[in-house]
Amino acid sequence: MEKEKLESLIIDFIDGKLLEDERKIVEQELMRNPAAYKLYEELKEVMQAMHTASRLEPSANLKLQFDKMLAEEMQQQKPAKTIFFQPVFYRVAAAVLLLVLGGGVGFWISRQQQQAEELRAMKEEMEKTKQMMMGMLDNQESASQRLMGANVAYKTIVKADDEIVNALVNTMNEDPNTNVRMAALEALSKFHSQPHVRKALIASLRTQKDPLVQIALIHLMIDMKEKGITEELKRITTDDEALPAVKDEAHVGLLKLS
Amino acid sequence: MTDETIMEAVKSGDLQQASMLFERYHKRIFNFLARLAMDRALAEDLTQNVFLRIIKYRNSYREGARFQSWIYQVARNVFSDHYQAHKNKYSDFVDVDKLRDNMAEAEDEQWDEKEKLLHRSMALLADEQRELLILTRFQHMKYEEVAQVMNTTVANIKVKVHRAIAKLREHYFELEKN
Repeated sequence: MEKEKLESLIIDFIDGKLLEDERKIVEQELMRNPAAYKLYEELKEVMQAMHTASRLEPSANLKLQFDKMLAEEMQQQKPAKTIFFQPVFYRVAAAVLLLVLGGGVGFWISRQQQQAEELRAMKEEMEKTKQMMMGMLDNQESASQRLMGANVAYKTIVKADDEIVNALVNTMNEDPNTNVRMAALEALSKFHSQPHVRKALIASLRTQKDPLVQIALIHLMIDMKEKGITEELKRITTDDEALPAVKDEAHVGLLKLS
Repeated sequence: MTDETIMEAVKSGDLQQASMLFERYHKRIFNFLARLAMDRALAEDLTQNVFLRIIKYRNSYREGARFQSWIYQVARNVFSDHYQAHKNKYSDFVDVDKLRDNMAEAEDEQWDEKEKLLHRSMALLADEQRELLILTRFQHMKYEEVAQVMNTTVANIKVKVHRAIAKLREHYFELEKN
């Protein structure tokens, strides 16, 4: 019998794993063959030695290290599972919200400031225009400068204050130049919806001596459907000093307004 | 509760249950690794690693798989990873003269001559043979169980174990002569 086969059989024999037939073959071989018996003895010894070898005991440190590791793992496990419900998440959310709110408020305030700034600049600009216009109207030397002043009022002034209205009314009533008076009237006509402008226009009709301005005033009153001037129109129709053309316009006005 | 039920609980997040598995297995795993590595201190580190992996990679535990097979597979991987990482430190054989330094001195005093002889003979075996003897002879695992751990057939295990025993006998009586 070859050695490896014999060894294998003897090992199974020692393990008690052989069937009856095989067991008998091994027993016969052991009795017959001293070398086989020696092999059996030696195999039995090492197998016995392994079987009864003492168990090794780990140090207490192993258990301590394990408990520490387990605690750490459990610690790490928690935040991973409930990240959206942690106070940390709320804190971050609150911080982000504050940041956004702060930014919003800051933006709003700066916008308000910007608007106030723009308004102030606009007022300044208007004041400058007004001063320039008043200066022009007041220029005794040049009729064309006064004309330009009236045109500026017509083109750029959106809402006339008393000062502007008075300046324009004065120009309309008293400027030596007809063109300037007409331009002033034109500028005033733009603001006719403002009550004090309306009053000034009606009053001017009473005192106006310039026929061209008188005719223009009557036209404007008709456009404005100002019925308060009918008395004045009647006076003009009977006024000997008034030009026939002016009287005609007064008649037309009376017809249209009545 | 079976090992498998406990491992299922660990897998589903009840990590505390792992301590029960530690109680049941840490000595066996430690013995396996200590005899395989022939180094007690190293074996403690590696055993710790085995349980760390069990917890960290708990999701890779297949439902219905035998826990014992799994933990031994993990232990084998931990050992072989360590061995790969420290390849240069070892030759093909563990240095027999150094063994006494690596195994605790307590053993030297407690062990009789026969046990010391067995230990030194084991050191002369190839890793695979030593591993097979530890599992089947020192830890009394059945060939079927070892076949499961190593993912091979029972017949294959049996042949290899028999060869390992025969080889051990040679070393053992060779050393005894000297």
